[in-house]
Amino acid sequence: METKPKILIIDDEEVVLDSCTQILKGSGYQLEIASDGLRGVELVQEYQPDLVFVDLKMPGISGFEVLEKVREIDSTIVTVVITGFATVSSAVDAMKKGAYDFLPKPFTPDEFRMIARRGIERRRLMLETIALRREKELLREQFASIVSHELKAPLGAVQQNLFALDFELEETLTDEQKAKMERIKIRVDELLKLINSWLRVISVDINKLKDGFTQVSITKPISNALESVASLAERKNIEIVSSISDELPPILGDVLSLSEVFVNIMGNSIKYSPDGTSVTLNAEVQGQNLVTTIQDGGIGINAEDLPHIFDGFFRGKSGQAMAGHGIGLAVAHQIVDAHHGSINVTSELGKGTTFMVSLPLFAKE
Amino acid sequence: MTKKLLIIDDDPDFVSGIKAILDKGGFEVDVAYNPKDGMTALQTKQYDLLLLDIMMGRGAEGIMIARKLRKDVKLRELPVLIMTGMREQIAFLFPGEPIHPRFVEVDELVEKPVEPKMLLEKVNGLIAAAEEKKAGRK
Repeated sequence: METKPKILIIDDEEVVLDSCTQILKGSGYQLEIASDGLRGVELVQEYQPDLVFVDLKMPGISGFEVLEKVREIDSTIVTVVITGFATVSSAVDAMKKGAYDFLPKPFTPDEFRMIARRGIERRRLMLETIALRREKELLREQFASIVSHELKAPLGAVQQNLFALDFELEETLTDEQKAKMERIKIRVDELLKLINSWLRVISVDINKLKDGFTQVSITKPISNALESVASLAERKNIEIVSSISDELPPILGDVLSLSEVFVNIMGNSIKYSPDGTSVTLNAEVQGQNLVTTIQDGGIGINAEDLPHIFDGFFRGKSGQAMAGHGIGLAVAHQIVDAHHGSINVTSELGKGTTFMVSLPLFAKE
Repeated sequence: MTKKLLIIDDDPDFVSGIKAILDKGGFEVDVAYNPKDGMTALQTKQYDLLLLDIMMGRGAEGIMIARKLRKDVKLRELPVLIMTGMREQIAFLFPGEPIHPRFVEVDELVEKPVEPKMLLEKVNGLIAAAEEKKAGRK
């Protein structure tokens, strides 16, 4: 059974305490009373009420101080002030201090009941919101771990056995059988990559990257990325031409995540380029930034799709039926944002697409 | 002489895929399916290389094995090929460090699943590197 909502009334006038007690009798609330602020604050701690009525004008510590103390103890406790002189200004002051509502004296039983009911409802909603937020955070974490354990590990084991089978049967399989094997491996590989990018989005807080920024040369993430996309490029017979100089000034950033930016962009360029074309890399200083361009001779992006390509889970209508998951570019955008940089893209259908990644140069103190 | 390898990994299906490749590659392969059996095997038999899974049991139990190896005078020089399905978690455990963790003197990290060519390259490379290191010390 649900526990009854708890109400605490702090007022120095005995008649107010008595009448409130009378009004709430049998209405399904638990009630505690205090006749001064100090005792009231003590009770807030002991009794942990959902709703507190506080008289603003009391001897000893004032209603305002009580409000502040209640807030310190537990900011989710709902407070309502009782004002003897019904002045708007003191009520407004109280609301500024975090009071949810005010009750002007004298009040009718119905007014009191209604404000109590609303206060309790407010408290319930606040607790529910907090619980939901916590649940959402937990779900996110659990989802990441479920994805990796329940999906990624089994799929990895499948792929490992395919690798083994293919390797063991190297001399036995016909070319056609080998082609089938290849198709299976490629599809499983794509699934694994998809799971990885989900995991990336779910489990890593990109804003935390900033803590690990160091002075880096752009050639480092670029060469990491080139290594990573080499097999994909080879498979599609696409040449990657990099003319990035070692002499470029350093930027401030995180090598791993910047590598990811270039892997995702280059991967995208390769994926949407016809066999036998090339992807060109370049980098130059423009003002206070280092701008890296990745240019492909691919199918291009529709003007209407262009503004959405960094949205995540978006794949252009005009895009050919190719394996894609749309998260890569969104992640790249987020990482570059965290570096206080920007990504721009220009494209012409049938001619190709150019990505420009602009990152601030490392500034000496 | 045939090189002896030990695999410590708690996923028998994954292990079968790795072992088949190593068998065909001409290695003698033992398997332990949990860290405890793995440590026992390491202490009773002599191996030329260890293939170690990171995420086992309730967490990163593979890292515990790597730590034990590092403290052991005899096992310290055993080359280790670390196999993990969780590149990003590794990166998270050691922020800012290269993905390759240097748990022990001679090690490398590969991501699961591992392609046959790469697996054999890494295994041969690590064994050679460990032997070179040993010879250089003498």
